[in-house]
Amino acid sequence: MSSIDLTTPTRQSVRGLILIFLFSFQKFVRAFWPLFLVLIFQNNIFQNQRVIYLTILVFVVLLAAHTILYYLNFYFYVAGDEFILKKGYLRKQTLSVPLERIQSVNTRQNLIQQLLEVVTLEIDTAGTVGKELKIHALSKAYSNALQERLQTKRSTKKLTEETTAEETQKAKEETLLHLSPADLLRIGISQNHIRAGLVIIAFGLQLFNQVQDVFQEQADKYSSEFIEFMSQSNWALITFMVIFFLLVSILFSLLRTVLKYFDFKLLKKPETYRIESGLLNKRNVIIPHQKVQELNWETGPLKRIFGIYNLIFKQAVSGQNRHQQQQLVDAPGCLTHHLEKLKHDLFGEDKLAEVPRIYSDNFYFRRLWLLFGWIPVILASPFFYSEWIFRGAALVWLPAAAGYCYLIIKKRYFRVNNHQIRISKGAISHKWEQMELHKIQAVEFKQSIFQKRRSLASLDLMNASGTITIPFIDEKIAKQLYNYLLYHTEISRKGWM
Amino acid sequence: MENFTNSVVLPENLPEIEPGKFTGLNRKFLTILYVRILIVFLILAGGLIAFVSLAEETISGKFIYLIAGAILLIIAYSAVITTLGFPKKGYLIREKDVSFQRGLITYRVTSVPLNRIQHVEVNQGVLAKMLQLSSVKIYTAGGTSSDLTIPGLSEPEALKLKAFLSGKISEHE
Repeated sequence: MSSIDLTTPTRQSVRGLILIFLFSFQKFVRAFWPLFLVLIFQNNIFQNQRVIYLTILVFVVLLAAHTILYYLNFYFYVAGDEFILKKGYLRKQTLSVPLERIQSVNTRQNLIQQLLEVVTLEIDTAGTVGKELKIHALSKAYSNALQERLQTKRSTKKLTEETTAEETQKAKEETLLHLSPADLLRIGISQNHIRAGLVIIAFGLQLFNQVQDVFQEQADKYSSEFIEFMSQSNWALITFMVIFFLLVSILFSLLRTVLKYFDFKLLKKPETYRIESGLLNKRNVIIPHQKVQELNWETGPLKRIFGIYNLIFKQAVSGQNRHQQQQLVDAPGCLTHHLEKLKHDLFGEDKLAEVPRIYSDNFYFRRLWLLFGWIPVILASPFFYSEWIFRGAALVWLPAAAGYCYLIIKKRYFRVNNHQIRISKGAISHKWEQMELHKIQAVEFKQSIFQKRRSLASLDLMNASGTITIPFIDEKIAKQLYNYLLYHTEISRKGWM
Repeated sequence: MENFTNSVVLPENLPEIEPGKFTGLNRKFLTILYVRILIVFLILAGGLIAFVSLAEETISGKFIYLIAGAILLIIAYSAVITTLGFPKKGYLIREKDVSFQRGLITYRVTSVPLNRIQHVEVNQGVLAKMLQLSSVKIYTAGGTSSDLTIPGLSEPEALKLKAFLSGKISEHE
C-alpha cells in the first residue's frame, strides 16, 4: 500500500493555500457582487484613486490572513474506526464519522486544482446525519490512500478469508465504457433541447432580474422596446426566432455535454464501479455495487436513432444534497450491450423479462387527460366568448393532450418477481427504473374514492434514493404486492447498503 | 393492455394489513386540528381585511363578498373533512412493521419495516403540550417521503411506542 500514514493529523497540501484564497475570494465576490456594481457605477465614492488601492489592499490582506488561519486550523486523520476532521479558528469544529457509515468518497478537480495537482475530496455519509465533509485542497496521493482505505474498510468485511484487502486493490480495472469525441457529439445532439432551452431562459431571467435591480431605468427602457418589437413582428420573424433559439439550445447542450463528459470512463473493479470524466471540472466517483439503490435508464426519440441510453446509478444520499448527488453518477451514451452488462452485474440474470407486464388501468388515462387536457381548457373557457382563437386552440389542445396521455399510458407498466421490480414510464422519452426489493425503506398504498369505485389503487415504493410509483393498478394486485414487499423486506438478511 | 391479473406470482396468504385493526388517535388531537384550521382562517380573514382597508381605490362590495364566501367555503370544507376523516387516522404496530393510515378522499397507508428504522423521535408542540399529547416521528434512510409521523398520541402512549421501536432498532443492528 501507499506510504502515507492516515492516522497522523494532516493539513491540506501547501499548494492549497492559493486555492483556499481563491475560494474565499470567490465566495466573497459571489455574495456581494451587486454591491460592487453599485459602488463602481456610482463613482463618487471612488473619486480618489488612493482610496481604491487602499481598499483593495486591506481586502487582500484580510483575505490572506483568513486563508492562512483557515489552513493552519484545518486537519484530518483516521483514528480507530473514525475519520476525524477539525477546522475553524474563530469557531472550532470537529466532525467525526465512523468509517462504516461513509457512503461514498468522491473527488473533483477544477481547472485550478488540475494545475495545482490537488483535488476536492467529498465524503458522503449515509442516513440521517447528512453532514457533508469536504476537503478542498488535498494532494492526489493522500486522496488515493484515503479513498482506498475507506473503500476497503467495508468490502473486507464481506469478502472471504482468502482474498485479502491487498488483492482486491490490485485487481485490474476493466474499462466498460469510454466515450470518444464522436460519442460526445451524439450525446450532445440527442439531449432534451426543450429542457436545455428552459434552463437558458431561467438563467437569463435570473440574470436579468439581478441586473435589473442595479440598472432599473435602462432595463425598463429595453424591456418596453422589446415588447414593442415583439408586438410588431410577423410570423416569419417568429419562425426565425424559434429556429435561432433551437440552435442556441443545441449548442448549449453540446457545450454542456463536452464539459461534463469529456474523456468519460466507466471502469469496473470487483463489486465497484468508478466514473472518471470532465474537462474543466474533473470528477472521480466510486460506486460500490451494494450501495446502488436503483438503476435507471432512459432513451428518447433522438437517442433511439443512435441506439444510446442514459444510465443513472441512484445511490443513497442524505436529504439535502440528494439532487446534486444524483447528477454525479450518470453514464450517458451507453449502448445496449453496456446496459445489459451493467444490469447483469447489479441484478444478475434478467429473470424479469420472463414475467408479464402489468399495465396501469385505462382509468389512469382519463385522469391524466382531465389533468392535462380538460382542466386547462376549462380554466381558459371565460375567453371563449371573446376570441375565436381560444376556441380553436382548445379544439387542438384536447386531442393533442389525449395523444400525449396515450403515450404515457402505453409506456406505464411494471414487472415484478420475487426479488426485483422494474417499472417503465415516459411519454416521448422512455424510462425504466429497476430495484431489488430488499432495498425498500417504506411502502405506501394510496386509493382515492374514484379509484375505490373501480377497485384500483396506487403504490409508492420508497428506497434510500427516492420513490418508485406504480399508479392505478388493480386493487387486489396492489394489496398483494404491498404485503409481499413488507414480508420480503422484513425477512431479508441482505443489507440495503 | 388487458393481459394482466393472475399473472403475479407472489405468495398468496401473506399477513394482510386490515384497516379495522388500527388504533385510532386520541380524540384531543381533533382539537389541535381545529385550532390549525382556525389559524388558517384568521390569516386569510386578516389578509382580506388588510387588503380592503389598505387598497387605494374602493373595491366593489360584490368582489369582497365573493372572496369572503370563498374563504368561508374553504374553511367549512376543511372542517368537515377533518371531522369526518378523523376516525380514518390510526396506527398499527405489528411484530415486524409499523403502519399509519389516514385520508378520507384519498386513503393512504404507509408501512415501515422495523428493520429499516434509523431512529425515533418524540415531539410535542405548544398546543400539544397543553393537551398532553405527543407525536412520534420515525426516520428511515429514505428521506422525508418515507419518514412516518404518528401524531395525536397521549404522552405515555408515545413514550411506550418510542421505547418499543428503539428496542427494535438495537435488535437489528
